[in-house]
Amino acid sequence: MDKAKIIEVIKKHILENLEDLKEEDIDPKKSMKDYGANSLDIIEVVSCSMRELNIKIPRSELTDIQNIDQLADKFLQYV
Amino acid sequence: MRGIHPYGLKNIDLQNLYDKGLKGEIMSKRIKIEVRDNGIAHLKMNDEKGKNEFNDDFISELIQGLSTLEENNKIKVLILSGLNEVFSAGANKQNLLDLCDGKIHVKDLLISEKLIFTPVPVIAAMEGHAVGGGLIMAACCDIVIAARESRYGAVFMSLGFTPGMGCTQLLPELMGPFIASEMMFTGKLFKGSQLVDKGTNINYILSKSEVMKKAEDLALQISEKNIKSIQLLKYTLSAKKKKLLIDARVHEDFMHRLSFAFPETKKMIEEKYGK
Repeated sequence: MDKAKIIEVIKKHILENLEDLKEEDIDPKKSMKDYGANSLDIIEVVSCSMRELNIKIPRSELTDIQNIDQLADKFLQYV
Repeated sequence: MRGIHPYGLKNIDLQNLYDKGLKGEIMSKRIKIEVRDNGIAHLKMNDEKGKNEFNDDFISELIQGLSTLEENNKIKVLILSGLNEVFSAGANKQNLLDLCDGKIHVKDLLISEKLIFTPVPVIAAMEGHAVGGGLIMAACCDIVIAARESRYGAVFMSLGFTPGMGCTQLLPELMGPFIASEMMFTGKLFKGSQLVDKGTNINYILSKSEVMKKAEDLALQISEKNIKSIQLLKYTLSAKKKKLLIDARVHEDFMHRLSFAFPETKKMIEEKYGK
């Protein structure tokens, strides 16, 4: 699986979990917080995406991630 | 609360809690209480640092606050609110770990009971997230308002143990039995907006900024009624929840004795309890 596909999965879950957002609005260089996500929104997006990608990453490895692109890179190490 | 306790909770524990509270300050730093001339009372859970988690101090201040209100016979309706971000995050990590080590904490149960036994209607105004026991608090109330932006979930199983605080009986009342089952089995944190079309029994799911306004409006309508009739009606309507709580506890206490003793549970709490 390539990074573009992973970003697509993350975007899908962002759209499902945040209101009033379109796919073309999402810039991977930004943080989910920039789109109004609260801490539990982010946890839900991350866990739904990991479930779809069939990966499990310990919470401790995710704490320093700053934006969607970095999240995709981290996912890529595990798929 | 005096005399024999209806649920057989250890009287020593209860008495200790009340004594501690009564000797301390009534307005605590974790709980803010406002009582107005028109009979509307507002209890705000205000523990910014602890995210309104149920640690021992929080519980004893909350119970004390509710007891104080209970003794005030001019109150007609109570609004229960939390922080803008978090209504309540439920049980505290250390308390859960203690349970794994066989130390008994019955105090969480007191919260459900105290809310259900409140002699006037309670409106849960949840601007922020309500997780685990925090959500069960709302299920103990009479009228529930949630926010579209916030999340609501029964996360017990995600941490390895079975639901408590009356969840197994009270959550189905609030959410409907099948949504409640989904919440309990999956531990999913539903966004308020995702609950809108699920046909739950939540009275209103509004933008966060509208939650308190709606609570105030409902409280005002109730406050116009005769206090004696309000108390009578509350007594009758709360009978079902009182029974449900007793039923729930028989099973939940038993399940807790087993599930907190699973060796996996402690590990899961250590690993997954989020900050």
